[in-house]
Amino acid sequence: MLNRRDFLKLVGVGGAGAAAGFALGEKSKNPSAELIPYLVPPEDIIPGVANWYTSVCAQCSAGCGIIVRVMEGRAKKIEGNPLHPINKGKLCARGQASLQALYNPDRIKNPLKRKGERGKGEFQEITWEQGIAMLSENLSSLRNNKRETEKLYLLTSSIRGHLNSFLENFIKAYGSSNYLQYELFQHENLLLANNIAFGQDTLPYYDIENTKFLLSLGADFLNTWVSPVNYSQGYGHMRQGRPGIRGKVVQIEPRLSLTGANADEWVPIKPGTEGLLALGMAYAILEQGYYKGRDAQEWKNILNKYHPKDVAVLTEVDERRIRALAKEFAVNKPSLAIGGENVASYENGASQLIAVNILNHLAGNIGKNGGVISNPKGASLSNRRGAIKKITAFAKDASNGKIKTLILYNANPVFTTPKTMKIEDAINNIPFIVSLSGSMDESTAMADLILPTHTPLEDWGDDFAEPSVGYSIATVMQPAVSPVFNTRNAGDIFIDVAEKIGGAIKKEVPWNSFDAFLKDSWKKIYDKNKGIVIQETTFDEFWDNLLAKGWWRLPDISSLKPGHISTKGINVYLQKEPSKFDGDDKNYPFYLCLYPHSGYLDGRGANLPWLQEMPDPMTSVVWGVWVEMNPKTAQGMGIKNGDMVSVESPYGNINIPAYLYPGIRPDTVSIPIGQGHRLYGRYAADRGVNPIEILPFKVDPRSGAIPLNSTRVKITARRDAPGNMVKMEGSTREFGRKIVETVTPDEFSKMGMEG
Amino acid sequence: MKKVILYIVVGVATFAIGYNVNAVYFSDRSPIQPIAFSHKIHAGDNNIPCMYCHIYADKSTVAGVPNVRKCIGCHKIIKQDAPEIQKLTDYWNRKEPIPWIKVHNLPDYVYFPHKRHVKAGVHCQTCHGDVAKMDVLTRVSSLKMGWCLDCHTNGAVAIIGREVKNGKDCWTCHK
Repeated sequence: MLNRRDFLKLVGVGGAGAAAGFALGEKSKNPSAELIPYLVPPEDIIPGVANWYTSVCAQCSAGCGIIVRVMEGRAKKIEGNPLHPINKGKLCARGQASLQALYNPDRIKNPLKRKGERGKGEFQEITWEQGIAMLSENLSSLRNNKRETEKLYLLTSSIRGHLNSFLENFIKAYGSSNYLQYELFQHENLLLANNIAFGQDTLPYYDIENTKFLLSLGADFLNTWVSPVNYSQGYGHMRQGRPGIRGKVVQIEPRLSLTGANADEWVPIKPGTEGLLALGMAYAILEQGYYKGRDAQEWKNILNKYHPKDVAVLTEVDERRIRALAKEFAVNKPSLAIGGENVASYENGASQLIAVNILNHLAGNIGKNGGVISNPKGASLSNRRGAIKKITAFAKDASNGKIKTLILYNANPVFTTPKTMKIEDAINNIPFIVSLSGSMDESTAMADLILPTHTPLEDWGDDFAEPSVGYSIATVMQPAVSPVFNTRNAGDIFIDVAEKIGGAIKKEVPWNSFDAFLKDSWKKIYDKNKGIVIQETTFDEFWDNLLAKGWWRLPDISSLKPGHISTKGINVYLQKEPSKFDGDDKNYPFYLCLYPHSGYLDGRGANLPWLQEMPDPMTSVVWGVWVEMNPKTAQGMGIKNGDMVSVESPYGNINIPAYLYPGIRPDTVSIPIGQGHRLYGRYAADRGVNPIEILPFKVDPRSGAIPLNSTRVKITARRDAPGNMVKMEGSTREFGRKIVETVTPDEFSKMGMEG
Repeated sequence: MKKVILYIVVGVATFAIGYNVNAVYFSDRSPIQPIAFSHKIHAGDNNIPCMYCHIYADKSTVAGVPNVRKCIGCHKIIKQDAPEIQKLTDYWNRKEPIPWIKVHNLPDYVYFPHKRHVKAGVHCQTCHGDVAKMDVLTRVSSLKMGWCLDCHTNGAVAIIGREVKNGKDCWTCHK
């Protein structure tokens, strides 16, 4: 009845059916996963429940307090510390992105020794013992055999707090005086201007929050300038936090910044004449008799060269507008003028900032709420004042063979100095270079020995914010997570080296670890202030509370100065003429103004993909760099949005896509700083160009600042090269689609909806 | 015609057999664990409360699988010679955590906090079954969304004496 053939068919059907049934059963399963328990549970971890640790943000020098959300030992999210007086619970994109600095796949994971030729980037992994031994032997031989301790240089980023005093101590004990700090944006000109005007070289607290009329000269304070999170909150309060009062903002700058876009008025001033405008306004204030001081006539005599009529010609701002601004500035009290990075970046930036100080003085804004409030000095342990001037001296010493050993820590001068400064060649003269940086940046790649350090989220430390908020504060950095890679604390490296060298140095650095030193230093602060401002009865209690709260108000060391500007001797510091730009205006028709990118700042953020992915707030460009040109200028040259152009200064040229930007003067072009890394990890390397490369080598002899707005350029279309600009926006226009409904402030106040 | 029916019958029958073989012998409901741990011995015979080992159930989203030190804490003394306990001792000596297979595994788009359920008064057994009788732990619930919603819509009254707040809101579980 069943033949052989049918039987085989049945077997086939049966087999297929069973297989299909088995497969369906398999498919309907939940995916299997392993459940790995702790071997021994850490005391402070509950799986699934977050721990929050306070710390300090190190992505820029604002010194915001942060809290780090840690799950099972992994940092997951960073927020602002709600108790911290600088950022009050808020945090900017750069701070948020510091998680990616921690988990960056291109971090240096082990100590490295140079293998091939210097600068070729060939390294081999070594152990910490070998690395410390190499450094110690070098320092010992420098010290013992030849007595050349002065030939050791330590170059770091802006470090404040106890690590700074620790390094100072070490270098001094070693017998060198060459500890210097260098960063691109150190506000040297602003410090100098304040020192000359008020005799106080601290950054003041600008009370944006309580002002009625804010005159911002090139200060992009909502985006990158000095302490943007603090200022942004102040700005919000100034605009909407006071029922019935809406502060007015006038932004004076050749290129409309993010802050300019938020202002009520934008004055597209001719680059390099901002200080003249401030003096012109100052003269108008005196002329109208708004300044009641006894020295009014003296001021008038000094400033009579700056009649608004003459200033109008130089600044290309209408005389009536200058007078109107002056009146508004003097009548609305309190008012506040701030001179920002764009002004500080001119060759005579310090003079222009002094002009802004004078303007504030004549309007009576110094030391007033809603004006300029000086910060106490002394609590900050920073030594950068002296250091700034030395970056050029450093380059010179390196070229002349005066440096035998260089230790770099988080400083990248190769990227942030103009090519014309030739710092790379200079550094190349140094026989032994050690980098303590955690990323392979352009300067670290030149090292012979790399001893990688922790990121701030893994590290102990503290920070004394400058500018503070009218009183001194210290913020403590504590490790939120265990080190991800085989890295160490910078202080610990020096402690190990001191141990090896021994002798007097070991005596000067007697601690076993940097965190022991840190705790010791805070113990001193505790002992000094116990019972006065410290309520806690034991140091351990104080320390625990400090770590929990994240910051502490330091007793002010110096008293506040009244902040009166004397007419005596001020004359020599006044801006005489518009800032000089290299290149003649026939061959180089455009002013070049550089500005820090909102994500990358001076280039340090370019290795974080979140920041690369973040559209620039004004242009919406991602993952790249661009040159901003006025659409009319570009049209005249046949350049379309995204076209590749060559930007050429007398010192070099770069190829870069053009972004047609209505918010820039027709005679000015602007490029953000931050891209154009040769190295610095997969996300940053070979992306875009670095505009600092085509700058002239100039340094303000008084402040040591490198002017960024100092050359003219010419633009030529590069038809041969394709543009590669990626932007999020389709168009800057809404074509009557009413995507954003707008009203003017006057209309709004008539609508009676304020408050 | 008869043959076609025969084929279909055989096909369906073997399909069912295949499916059941998978469900019974290759089940994800009771996977084979690296150590043949018996809940019956621990929770049943010895009456150890659930939260003696699963210590985070009322504190966290996860109930927590006991750390190896906790196991060894008792088994340093108890039943050292048993072959399964020797496996445990080996893990401890190698300083290796035990790679348990998850019996109750939720996809990561589901937010399920143990804490809320425990605090609302749901007994462990409601979802996990009578583990005190299980030599090999078996998942008794489907853990599918419909099963969750059985309680979240109206079944909760019988279990905790009240309805679930925002029980039907998508965002309650899918954050």
